[in-house]
Amino acid sequence: MSETLLLELQEVSKIFNVDPNPLKRSLGIGQKLCAVDQFSLRVTKGNIIGLVGESGCGKSTTALLIVKLLNVSKGTILYRGQNITEATGTKMRPFRERVQMVFQDSSSALNPRKTVKRTLLEALRRRFGRTPDLEGKAIELLAVTGLGPEILPRYPHALSGGQRQRVGIARALAMEPEFIILDEPVSALDVSLQAQVIKILKGLSQERDLTMMFISHDLALVNHLCNQIVVMYAGRVVETGSPDEVMRQTAHPYTKALIAAVPRGLRGRREPLPVLVGNVERSGEGCNFAPRCPKALPICREIVPREISLTGQHKVACHLLDEGKGP
Amino acid sequence: MGSPLLEVNDLRIAFPVEGRMTEAVRGTSFSLDQGEVVGLLGESGSGKSVSALAIMGLIAPPGAITAGTIWFNGRDLRTLNEAALRKVRGREISIVFQDPQTTFNPSLTIGSQLLHVIRTHTSRTKAEAKKRALEVLELVGLPHPSRVMRCYPHQLSGGMRQRTSIGMALACEPTLLIADEPTTALDVTIQAQMVELFRQLQDELNVTTLYITHNLDLMAELCDRAIVMYGGMIVEAGTVQDLFENPRHPYTRMLTDCVPRLDVEECELTVIPGMPPALGSIKGGCPFEPRCPLAFEKCRQTCPAEEAIGGHRFSCWEGER
Amino acid sequence: MNHKSIVSGLNVRLLKAALGNSGFWGSFIVVIAILIALLAPQLSPNDPEALDTSIRFMPPSAEHWLGTDHMGRDVMSRLLWGARPSLKIGVGAVIIGLPLGIIVGLLSGFYRNTLIETVLMRTMEVLAAIPLLIWAIALIGLLGVKPIEVGPFLISNQFKIILVLGLLYVPGLSRIVYAVASGEVVSDYVAARRLQGVSDINLMISDILPNCMSPLIVMGTLFVANGVLTEAALSFLGIGVQLPQASWGGMLSEARRSLFTGEWWLLVFPGLAITISVTGYNLAGDALRDILDPRSVVGQRRVS
Repeated sequence: MSETLLLELQEVSKIFNVDPNPLKRSLGIGQKLCAVDQFSLRVTKGNIIGLVGESGCGKSTTALLIVKLLNVSKGTILYRGQNITEATGTKMRPFRERVQMVFQDSSSALNPRKTVKRTLLEALRRRFGRTPDLEGKAIELLAVTGLGPEILPRYPHALSGGQRQRVGIARALAMEPEFIILDEPVSALDVSLQAQVIKILKGLSQERDLTMMFISHDLALVNHLCNQIVVMYAGRVVETGSPDEVMRQTAHPYTKALIAAVPRGLRGRREPLPVLVGNVERSGEGCNFAPRCPKALPICREIVPREISLTGQHKVACHLLDEGKGP
Repeated sequence: MGSPLLEVNDLRIAFPVEGRMTEAVRGTSFSLDQGEVVGLLGESGSGKSVSALAIMGLIAPPGAITAGTIWFNGRDLRTLNEAALRKVRGREISIVFQDPQTTFNPSLTIGSQLLHVIRTHTSRTKAEAKKRALEVLELVGLPHPSRVMRCYPHQLSGGMRQRTSIGMALACEPTLLIADEPTTALDVTIQAQMVELFRQLQDELNVTTLYITHNLDLMAELCDRAIVMYGGMIVEAGTVQDLFENPRHPYTRMLTDCVPRLDVEECELTVIPGMPPALGSIKGGCPFEPRCPLAFEKCRQTCPAEEAIGGHRFSCWEGER
Repeated sequence: MNHKSIVSGLNVRLLKAALGNSGFWGSFIVVIAILIALLAPQLSPNDPEALDTSIRFMPPSAEHWLGTDHMGRDVMSRLLWGARPSLKIGVGAVIIGLPLGIIVGLLSGFYRNTLIETVLMRTMEVLAAIPLLIWAIALIGLLGVKPIEVGPFLISNQFKIILVLGLLYVPGLSRIVYAVASGEVVSDYVAARRLQGVSDINLMISDILPNCMSPLIVMGTLFVANGVLTEAALSFLGIGVQLPQASWGGMLSEARRSLFTGEWWLLVFPGLAITISVTGYNLAGDALRDILDPRSVVGQRRVS
């Protein structure tokens, strides 16, 4: 089995101080928000992982924790076996070169005062040093994302959203990473452009053996593109597995509701929509989904469900399937 | 059947680009009958949102409607002055916008904004207006309407805000409701709640609705008929069945195939090359021609004439190859 | 139509465009002010400190275009020479205050929600709580109006004022940098640079600082204008440029009685000089800001 384990997150949690009183906040007491709760994940080389969930589920925070733009409150991050949870400065250098991120909001992802050329050359210089043909490399990177060299002298405000997004991808690729996290890379794009970018990303995964993680609320996209799906709700992983397992042998009630909520076109007209009422709440005790779950049991409101293995890679955290089976 | 509630003829809307007035909507004609839910489908540069604003008389100078008529309830809205238009807006035609955050004034409570709308357009007393406001909030499925009335917009979640803006749009019992991408900014489960709400409202109130979106599947769930716009023109229009089962325009066909969809097993998405047209970049001929795999010489030179088979309209030269 | 009239037609249009542009006027004024300050010795008809009590209080005339003051000194010469201290102090104070303001603002904005930010910004706020002029009066009053010896250096009175004002500008300038820096530090492009392993200092200088330059330059020119006014005020109060040296504020101070005795030329001309130069710096600052912002070019409207 030649599967390289690139990245491993073990029970990673992130807790924010959200007390309205600033004094309490700076002292670290008062109201807290657990944005990410005991998130565990193994990323093997070549994976394309889809992290899905709705607003407030913690997926963007998880991304920031993985790339270490945020420090974890609890848990461990291992990169190629090395514990980098507390690492800073020079120890982070190899990690920084190999793990990159493409951001969601293309309008703030590029420095408005730098031309595309400068943004790309900066990145290339950090990776390759001051070698002569950096501009040529920049043009190649743009070509990979489907943009021409005429983009180089332009400022971000003179580009369309789709073009900015691609420049963001080119910048991430400039560092020649092993692992890229993409935070909603196509959701702000026109529908007819999404397929173009999806095709580029698919190509990158195959040609460059790039490991990727997609953060998205679009189940159909993740189903199409990824070979592993992780579903989050209110900071916790509720289900994970291959697309076939998660989408067609769905175990968790939230995942079922999510799948049912996706518009089905003509077919949807004939079926009434099974609708999830209310909004996301972190209930504190027990399963976060219990208040909205159509099948909640009394135990669901008291004890946090543990992760259970079903078939293959399929894992779910739900009392309904937990008959005393171990992980 | 009677005459249509809304009839738009040869609408042309232009905006200044580098000093010259350039058309964003280039001669569109469509109509809505009483009680219909019609979808307006398109992406950036299609002219769909601008068309909605034009119906409401909200095209701000230096942009302008340069030609065409907008017949609503027996009057051409283009002939009305601002004062008359203000009476129509909110009262007879209402609009729900995409961003629930900017729909509301952040410094006023929901209640005061609702009351303002109701009292401006109807002759209710304060007490009657308050009653109507609570009615309408309940109608859109908000729990604790009286509490919502006292809230400021930022205290509500995105889904609740959007429900409230739908409520505000319905408060004066309009004849026509325009919804401009009302669920785009919302999570998919909240979107499903909105779809259910729209269906319910349709059943109860039978409000004629123009639903603007870029999501084909969403449109199919809610609308009876749909109009597909591209580059400021209508490229295809018909019932939802027509568009899904027998799309005649290459753009419509590719639109269904270029987005990943659940339940549809496909390994390769159709890629539409190129980009949606920017304002002013369309020369003569068919606006979709630069990206169309079936384009030939005639497409480049002449804008396709419209053909119609029953209620199914489309503009494409494909039949003449 | 012969080409002479076409060319003159073009010139008329250009002229009209220039005349309507406030930035043009602002820059024009600034350039004139600088020229006057530099060339005062050449331009002024008389020695600004030459006394001649026989020709005191003379209204504007052929020999003395702007009249003479209570000591018989030529107003015009004093006005031209007075441009020097106003420019020196106005610009000098900003030159001192700007780098310090940038450092304080960058550090406190970048390290938001940490002790650094708290200490720096609260200190700045305490300093800013008392109006600039009061601070200036207090500090200059403390230091006295004579040149001070600091080690081997002799700090002249004017340089003392420049230093004091410069330091007093730091809270205002740092606040601007702080406002921009604290907003930009959380943006995605800074995060992207961090992912490239860029150090904090590098981030501050190459990514955040350029975004602060535009508002900073506008504020800088406003502070130059403020400096001219403050110098005038200090000189008016007698603790700025010391008499008999020529300065606009000093001229106004000496002419206080003329409000009642009718020698209008002793008040109007220095007052106009102050007003015009302050307006000029402000307008020039606005124009600079518009030029520097890459986003100020009106782009194409995306319509959908």
